[in-house]
Amino acid sequence: MKHSIMVIDDEKIVGDMARLSLEQDGFEVETFLSGEPALARLQHKRFDVVVTDLKMRGIDGMEVLRTVRSLYPETKVIMITAFANLDTAIEALRGDVHDFFPKPIKIRELKASIRRAIGADVAAT
Amino acid sequence: MKTADILRSFLGLGRRNNGRTDFSALFSSFRDVLSSHNRAVEEIADMADKLSGDYIFDVNYIRPSYEHLRQAVSDAVKGFDAFTDDSYPQLSSAFYRIDNEIVRLIHDVPAAAAALVVHLEDITWDMERLVGGKGLHLAEVKNGSGLSVPSGFAVTAKAYTDFMRHNRLDEAAARLRSAAATEEDLAALRMMILQGEFPHPLSDALAAGLSRLRKGCGRPCFLAVRSSAVGEDSEFSFAGQFTSVLQVPAETDQLKQAYRQVIAGIFTQKAVAYLERLGLGPGDVRMPVCCLLMVDARSSGVVYTSDPSGSADALVISSSWGLGEPVVEGSVETDHIVVRKAAVPQVVSRRIGRKSSFEKGASSGGTETVGTPAGMTDQLSLEDDEIIRLAKQAISLETYFRRPLDIEWAIDRSGRLFILQARPLRTGKNGGRKTAAASALQGFTILMKDKGSVVQRGAAAGRVFVAKGPDSLDSFPRGGVLVARHDSSEFVRVMPYASAIITDTGSATSHMAALCREFRVPTVINAGDATRLLASGGEVTVVAGDDGTVGVYEGIVREVLDQPSGASMEDLYEFRRQRYLLRYISPLFLIDPLADEFRPERCRTLHDVLRFIHEKSVMHLVERARSGSRGRRAVQLSLPVPAGIMAVDMGGGLDIGEGRKKASIGEVVSVPLRALLEGLTLPGVWHADMVSLTAHDFVGSMMRMPDIVNDAENFTENNFAVITREYMSLSLRFGYHFTVIDCYCSDLMRNNHLYFRFGGGATDMAKRSRRVDLISFILKEFGFSVLVRGDLITARLANVTREDMERILDQLGRLLAYTRQLDALLHDDSRVELYARRFLEGDYSLSK
Repeated sequence: MKHSIMVIDDEKIVGDMARLSLEQDGFEVETFLSGEPALARLQHKRFDVVVTDLKMRGIDGMEVLRTVRSLYPETKVIMITAFANLDTAIEALRGDVHDFFPKPIKIRELKASIRRAIGADVAAT
Repeated sequence: MKTADILRSFLGLGRRNNGRTDFSALFSSFRDVLSSHNRAVEEIADMADKLSGDYIFDVNYIRPSYEHLRQAVSDAVKGFDAFTDDSYPQLSSAFYRIDNEIVRLIHDVPAAAAALVVHLEDITWDMERLVGGKGLHLAEVKNGSGLSVPSGFAVTAKAYTDFMRHNRLDEAAARLRSAAATEEDLAALRMMILQGEFPHPLSDALAAGLSRLRKGCGRPCFLAVRSSAVGEDSEFSFAGQFTSVLQVPAETDQLKQAYRQVIAGIFTQKAVAYLERLGLGPGDVRMPVCCLLMVDARSSGVVYTSDPSGSADALVISSSWGLGEPVVEGSVETDHIVVRKAAVPQVVSRRIGRKSSFEKGASSGGTETVGTPAGMTDQLSLEDDEIIRLAKQAISLETYFRRPLDIEWAIDRSGRLFILQARPLRTGKNGGRKTAAASALQGFTILMKDKGSVVQRGAAAGRVFVAKGPDSLDSFPRGGVLVARHDSSEFVRVMPYASAIITDTGSATSHMAALCREFRVPTVINAGDATRLLASGGEVTVVAGDDGTVGVYEGIVREVLDQPSGASMEDLYEFRRQRYLLRYISPLFLIDPLADEFRPERCRTLHDVLRFIHEKSVMHLVERARSGSRGRRAVQLSLPVPAGIMAVDMGGGLDIGEGRKKASIGEVVSVPLRALLEGLTLPGVWHADMVSLTAHDFVGSMMRMPDIVNDAENFTENNFAVITREYMSLSLRFGYHFTVIDCYCSDLMRNNHLYFRFGGGATDMAKRSRRVDLISFILKEFGFSVLVRGDLITARLANVTREDMERILDQLGRLLAYTRQLDALLHDDSRVELYARRFLEGDYSLSK
């Protein structure tokens, strides 16, 4: 079965680029432009990994993280942000995220992080 | 006295010949310039890296990144102006011109006060958004390469916007969401465009444009009116997607009607489908239109400067009588001529097509198809000398644009050759995807074998759909294999959903072939009777092999199918938009410092500005050193190989007595130069025997042809090392290769850096790019970060110990000596790795 990845970022280009590159590796990817529809989707479907932007209007990455933690404790969360500083990184890591990336994100590193999150060395499928 | 001189005099810096104090101040400002230069080059490399497709970025990435880069370039320009006493005032103008264009693109500001009509000879490189891709490329052919292009002008993007606004059609176009646009919506918009009125300024501009064209025409003249979308003929082929109107009488009213028809051509299902595939909506296009004088063509056709299905050393000509439209549409049989590229091109094969009809311009306007007179049907449509002339022009254009091209041409009744279009050629290679494993196909029924020619390689499967006509495409099933009698650019409508295309007839140089390569749809043409052999509804596997073999098998053979490539990053609009900026930033056009165009006003990118600064700073320093009263500062190095390097010692770089004119390698105490020379002069690395260069090897070059053998005297004016004990700025020119090395090598690891740039070459593009592969392969082994663009390598290394830096410089010296003549030997891709491995193992022999 394919592993499923949810990507939430209010910049369309981020979701598009993530989807393109992750689908090439055989992942099933769903993208969302804000936290609200993503949380609604999470009520119905469990994802193996959630990649979310930290700073978004409305529901932000920390709230996504809290929801995922309560619904699916085993789902890994990867936090991304354009405003990288030590404080946000510490805040994210305290919230028990699997990984933290400042933008621009090296795709290879994101993929490697996702593979670690699902406990796979190479194959995604 | 210049302001800078007054300031200098006031500060007590003095002018030349004032001795050591003056010189160390000069060197210090030289170092400042180079330091800003290096910082800017780092920023460029970083930006190119981030926008390479290897990173996910957001829309906010580019602004702060460009701000850093702009600051670094600005510092370099200001420092350079001060250093050279404002000797090159045009350089800051060039910088501001390029900067303005980038800022305009970043903020998406349309060009201010843009012209409505621009004649080809007035089009400059930075007008793409105004005149479109086709207009820009033709202007480059006409103004840059000096080949014959019909006179003409571009009706600009501004004119399009004005026309649409004037008729209140801009909002209607923007409202059309491509996916939801029905044929009725499109037809309604087309109708409104065809009835649109021209704003007065545009009418006047068209009339003035025509009047200027008619002056040079001297006979009843006609126009070809064609689309020229931004990106057309460069990033995207747009091949055959938009409307062209031919043989338009050069009168204002007729031109206006043709213009309306071309504009309306954006809003067809075919064009909209193509735009959608590129992530663009019909409202996103601001279409410039190109108006060229018609060539009264006796013969026309297409040249591919590289055989898409075979050797890069051959070019392919498709030719027919009359106008070229039927050739590019693939709707007629053509003569097919293969020519081997050489100083004197040689015809390898001629296949005469049965040309039963041809298209010509009617005297009252418009075109007509007429029967070919008896005797000409099976006669070659090109004379031998015309083939050679065409091949030579195609080769020189390929050299000019530095890449394989798809060229449309025409020869008029008096034998004059015109270039009508030149766009990048996509070569149909399989993008690295795996192709068929022959064993998996065993046991499957073969429906068709080794028929036709492969224009796009790959393996795919799906249900056969035999097309009966354009209308039948409406029922084309997703994932189907399209089978048709003739090739047609109409097929673009289903290309996003087609797994493969097979046609009975067709041309490898048609629009459809270009589109199949662009969309990477496995495609076979000229299969003869595929429409008979393959039945609609049956599931088949199509294998268009890397080696040109063709097989169609019954059923689906999953083992051989290509992995779904999906969309590519290039399909994302925002990605393309941000990457587009790079064309004003990272390419390097100013390469040869001895060439005429090595001038500030020819700078097209920020990299050009930086290159100019680097070159002229070194030269400025060298001239000051030579004219210095102490004389010894610029001395010739006596080396066991004829590298002809002059060393300019800024302090502690040479250990020689006063007044000496020459220094031996043992007297070089500059750490980086000494290390490099050790490698450069290592016995066995510098080959004194000349590698045999065939005339063919020189064909790719339009540069002068100096002797590539070791003539030391030739180089002494070109090779300089500006040095101190720990620093070296080296500019080298061996034959056609230009190398720049900027290096600091000290005991303080964090200060150490090495910047390396390598470009040029005498041989053809394929061999040059193999050499680039070879050098970048080796540099990566040494730990460099390497940026390759065309035949230019930029590599950087920092934070290494002095010992490591010395070792790497020694290797670089060997590499420079070794690769001096190597590209002439790189006949095929397999040699790259062979010679790279040999080099890394310390085997410097050039034997095959």
